[in-house]
Amino acid sequence: MNDPLIAATSAAANGLFAQSTRMRVVSENIANADSTGKTAGADPYQRKTVSFESVSDEVSGADLVQVQDISRDEAPFRTEYMPGHPAADAKGYVKMPNVDMLTELSDMREASRSYTANTQVIKQVREIASMTIDLLRTS
Amino acid sequence: MQPMQLFNLAFRQNEWFAQRQAVISSNVANANTPGYKARDVESFDAVMDSSASTSAPMAATDPQHFASSGSDAVRDQNNGDDQAEVLVSGNDVNLEQEFLKSNDVMRGYTLNTQIMKTFDRMLQSATKG
Repeated sequence: MNDPLIAATSAAANGLFAQSTRMRVVSENIANADSTGKTAGADPYQRKTVSFESVSDEVSGADLVQVQDISRDEAPFRTEYMPGHPAADAKGYVKMPNVDMLTELSDMREASRSYTANTQVIKQVREIASMTIDLLRTS
Repeated sequence: MQPMQLFNLAFRQNEWFAQRQAVISSNVANANTPGYKARDVESFDAVMDSSASTSAPMAATDPQHFASSGSDAVRDQNNGDDQAEVLVSGNDVNLEQEFLKSNDVMRGYTLNTQIMKTFDRMLQSATKG
């Protein structure tokens, strides 16, 4: 039989990894919020999205979480009138990335909240395990 | 054999708590997974009842008994309707609810280990004099 406490820790650790991947994707989106193409009419940076899936781990029996896919957001790009820009088309419009700051920031908030939740679980598990070990201490 | 049963009971419940903590941890890890449904384990009473269907409850006359009934006594079951609403993504994990459960586990586990400690001291004072 596997130790459920170890299973709990590994599920939480997987959660930490998944949320930090999400954080990475969010920061990439924010960093590239103004990355346009180089040639006339070229597509700019396309926003990335991350999706999770739950996988059941046969060894520990816990439901782990993992990053299923990092895909591109197909939402339309916004355009700005900048005739002097190298990526401007014939009419002088430049395609800008489909990154919305508000969406990214709320996504980041949620990622950090979930990350904290997972660290909280790890803390709790460690405390529980150390209580059992304390039974061996001579009082 | 009477005092040994208390150790056994406390140990069984701690095992149940650990199992529950694993399920809670899975729920928290999947708090943002689309379509994931929060889970919980059977209540300890139900587990005890099902394992005590024979004569005396918790009478482990052989060390094998304990190990065999430990893991399969805990089954997953879906959360009740008292859970928060299901999100558009199909996920119904409520972090606050999970921490409430986690706190329950913590409290019970502390109580059990304290009882075990006290009991150990009692036995020791009987053996050492």
